[in-house]
Amino acid sequence: MTIWILIKSLIIGGLVGFSVSAGAARMYHIPKTQGMGAFRTLGELNACQGDPASHFSFGLGVFFNAWANTVAGGALTGDVGHRVIPNWSAAIVLLKGKDPEKTLHNPKKMAITGAIVGALVVAFLNVTASSIPTSLQEVASEVLVPAADWFLNPVMPAIFWLAAIDGGRRTGIYGTLFGGLAHLVMGNAVPGLVLGILIGKGVDDTGWSRMSKIIITAIVLLFIFSGFFRGFDIELLQSLNITVPNWLEDLHQIFGYEVE
Amino acid sequence: MGNQSSNGELANKDFWYADWSFPIFTTLLASGIFAGTHMYYVHGTGVFNEISILAMLRVGMEGGGYGAAAAFGASFLFARILEGSLVGILDIGGSMMTGIGIGLPALILAAGFTLPLTSFPVALITGALLGLAIGLIIITIRKYTIGQGGSSFGADILMGAGNQAGRFFGPLIIVSACAASIPIGIGSILGALIFYGMNKPIIGGAILGAMLLGYFFPIT
Repeated sequence: MTIWILIKSLIIGGLVGFSVSAGAARMYHIPKTQGMGAFRTLGELNACQGDPASHFSFGLGVFFNAWANTVAGGALTGDVGHRVIPNWSAAIVLLKGKDPEKTLHNPKKMAITGAIVGALVVAFLNVTASSIPTSLQEVASEVLVPAADWFLNPVMPAIFWLAAIDGGRRTGIYGTLFGGLAHLVMGNAVPGLVLGILIGKGVDDTGWSRMSKIIITAIVLLFIFSGFFRGFDIELLQSLNITVPNWLEDLHQIFGYEVE
Repeated sequence: MGNQSSNGELANKDFWYADWSFPIFTTLLASGIFAGTHMYYVHGTGVFNEISILAMLRVGMEGGGYGAAAAFGASFLFARILEGSLVGILDIGGSMMTGIGIGLPALILAAGFTLPLTSFPVALITGALLGLAIGLIIITIRKYTIGQGGSSFGADILMGAGNQAGRFFGPLIIVSACAASIPIGIGSILGALIFYGMNKPIIGGAILGAMLLGYFFPIT
């Protein structure tokens, strides 16, 4: 069992480390090159640029937190990909050559180093996390599951709702509209709020551009389809004391939904 | 070893700098991230995301429905693809860790397919194909929009709200631990205090403290 976790982790870590580190080096060449990572990562890499010790200790600082999260919840945290792997790869390539232009900014060197760093980091985290006794994991899930349920509802909807309202008039309007509808139709407001923020901000920044129109069409279709397949239309009619027309019942039956 | 002195020339030709090679990098990354979610699905560890976002997927895995995880992850992915091609940096947190690692697995599981998450090779291939698609979409959008700037489609707001919501998870864990049993609650409080004292997010300490005391005083 553990040997499989080790092997899989080495492969996964190698893949992730390779591409994350190459993407990080490519970030130094935007806009000519498409990079991947995060502006946050770029800023942090710049903050300790050129000094291997700073890169290493920065990565180490978040590594312990990542370790705690992996042991506790099986989650490697975003820090592993955003901070630990890029910064440790940077530290190693900078040890070999002091000039960041030729090392940290070089996707090839970063990718190869990153693959090794990633494989070791991911393997270490997963193997140590999987070796803890099952009784401990039971305690972890005993604590985590209720917290996760509360988190999903009502904490996340409330926070995203406030973010939509604070994001501007348009995100507030679309967020409230789609968020409310999403809770009615899908049972959780977050998807609707996210979509409301997406379309609200898109229209704020680019107007009713072609992209905005495509997005709003997709959102409307999403609501129509998920409403239909969850039988929301039937429930709506029934709760308003309106008789459900036969053709609608038949339509639902085609897709396997039984109308009571 | 390429000569980097003429970067402008290389940008169009050299594999490591070219646009055409970008989908290869997204393919590899998505393959790894998706397989990481497979690891969690099968072995209980290895997902590349925060515990708070993983919690959404977990709710689905325990029978509570994948809707929230799927919608959150997929729309985050969508926003980040648009933004990434416009600004030149694809945010791997939203697109890969949340989109590929949480949203798309939730969609796939919600649709009733479990093989991509139970089999390691299938997970690698599924992730690779999804990553390839993302890379190709970005390069295509980039062809038409390069230099136009534009909108982040609210990705910054989503990230802010995601981080804000994530902060709630620490206190929720302590409350949940206190409801589980008295020793676990005490452990969780002490763990959170220690982590807070060390300027670390309290969530890690809260869980570790709860587990430590839970080891000596198991829930009966």
